[in-house]
Amino acid sequence: MRMAEDAVEVRRLRRVFRGRRKSPGVAALDSVDLVIPAGEVHGLLGPNGAGKTTLCKILATVLLPTSGHASVGGHDVVRETAAVRRIIGIVFGGERGLYTRLTARQNLEFWAAMYGLRGRTLRLRVDAMLSQIGLTERADDRVEGFSRGMKQRLHLARGLIGDPQVVLLDEPTTGMDPVAAREFRTLVGELRDDGRTVLLTTHDMAEAEAVCDRVTLIDNGRLLATERPAALSSWISTYSRVDARDVPAERVPQLICELRDIPGVAGVRAIQPSGIRVETDVADAAPQVIRHLLDSGINSVATSTPDLEEVYLHIIGERGLRVSR
Amino acid sequence: MHDLVRPLRVLRFSAGNAWADMWVIFSPLTWIVGWVSRVLVQVVFFALIGLLLGSDDAVRYLFIGNAVMITAMEATMSVTTTTWERRQGTMPLLVAAPTRLWPVFMGRSVQWLPTGVITASVALFALGPAFGVDWTPARALTVLACLAVVAVATYCFALLLSAIVLTAVDLHNVISNVAQAITMLIAGVMVPVSFWPGWVQAIAQALPLTHGLAAIRAVTDAQAVGPVAGEVIAGLSLTIGVGALWLLAAALLFEGLAAAGRRTGSIEFAD
Repeated sequence: MRMAEDAVEVRRLRRVFRGRRKSPGVAALDSVDLVIPAGEVHGLLGPNGAGKTTLCKILATVLLPTSGHASVGGHDVVRETAAVRRIIGIVFGGERGLYTRLTARQNLEFWAAMYGLRGRTLRLRVDAMLSQIGLTERADDRVEGFSRGMKQRLHLARGLIGDPQVVLLDEPTTGMDPVAAREFRTLVGELRDDGRTVLLTTHDMAEAEAVCDRVTLIDNGRLLATERPAALSSWISTYSRVDARDVPAERVPQLICELRDIPGVAGVRAIQPSGIRVETDVADAAPQVIRHLLDSGINSVATSTPDLEEVYLHIIGERGLRVSR
Repeated sequence: MHDLVRPLRVLRFSAGNAWADMWVIFSPLTWIVGWVSRVLVQVVFFALIGLLLGSDDAVRYLFIGNAVMITAMEATMSVTTTTWERRQGTMPLLVAAPTRLWPVFMGRSVQWLPTGVITASVALFALGPAFGVDWTPARALTVLACLAVVAVATYCFALLLSAIVLTAVDLHNVISNVAQAITMLIAGVMVPVSFWPGWVQAIAQALPLTHGLAAIRAVTDAQAVGPVAGEVIAGLSLTIGVGALWLLAAALLFEGLAAAGRRTGSIEFAD
């Protein structure tokens, strides 16, 4: 099947969940615009309740948008549901979504039938998927005896059984141990190599940085930024951090006052033990802070390069780990 | 052609899922000792009420009614097992797959069809002579076929209840038990359908068991199968027809459930 140039296109997408009785409802997504080119691994990064899963559900055709437009592979998710369902695969994290009393093979056979495969084609496809995820040896064991990592690999195989062009991975590494998560990321890399488009929702910065071509930050139902992970980090590099160590305790209050007066300094606070942390929000402010510290006789000074987590926390701010309503 | 065959293929694989569930719940030993013996005691218990009435006909009537009721009762257990689909978190995946929901759910609880037929058969054929029911090969085979029809048709009725229960999973036991109790009361199991007021009789006509049980009573009450063949075929035709209508309604409701879930957001990824 030929894939549209843009695998996913979302325009002014809005989804409001109505509350009970006359409550006004909550906008889980609000005026969301997003374009994912075919073949891209795209990360959707945000805290719990940000709207990541809502967007995934709309693209997966299990939720209707309140307004706006969303298409997958050029097919409208509301009007061309059947066409969308033929080209997507869904994988979500955790234990659910598998028939634990069936064997791995039986699970895949069932889902292969759901995706229209039959006969020899079905059997070959199931064997190929089992081999790809390294479960051939355990193919005829019941899933209830599998480790979490094995279940997650089976989840991925289930999501790929229909040979989807677009794969929606909703927090797929939730609850995985680090080794299993790393294995899973390798598998995501293989999806990219196969030319599939992947939308990966996560609140794990390292995961987004490791596997995504581009990352979109989302919070409170709104997209905040879309960039390549490295570009996102450089974009936020205007937000530098300077840590001063071994500052004599009696000099800390005075130095904090002086540093606050430097243009571009966004915040200054004492840190333990005997230190000061300076946050700047202008690109050339950090050198001035360092110079001032050195001129004041403070020689233990360090700057840090922001990683995606810091980008994330800068943009989302203090709300980072709270669930919005 | 593929579009016609695909639901049947899905139904087959879903039935495999049902069968796997069956042998997790029961082993052959626990099924015989824990389940079959329990329902046989239930049949005997209700049949013995006829003794209190001092009527051999009542004993026989209650025995046949309650033995056949086992088939309907087990078919109605699909209401509960359907909810397992929701508990396993597969609903969003099923909705998002390019195949309709009804074949999945139609296959999902079929384990209760053979078990219901076998259990009722054991009751009827093993215990029947003790309660005044004699068997010839022709009569036994005809009743076996009737039981199969009752099982399938009642299963179709139960699928509609299952679709309702998917929107209110916590009520699965309530709906299943109420349905079984009503069926037992008005479908001719304990008392003839004619015992009830007209409007209750009208409701009873919508239950597959009413017609299937009537056909079975026609067979067991007759000296030979031949003379009542027309009556049996008519009863089974009604059973099949009523079952087909319930199946159609259930299929529409399953699809309606998916459509409503898309609107309301009730199909959760973590569901």
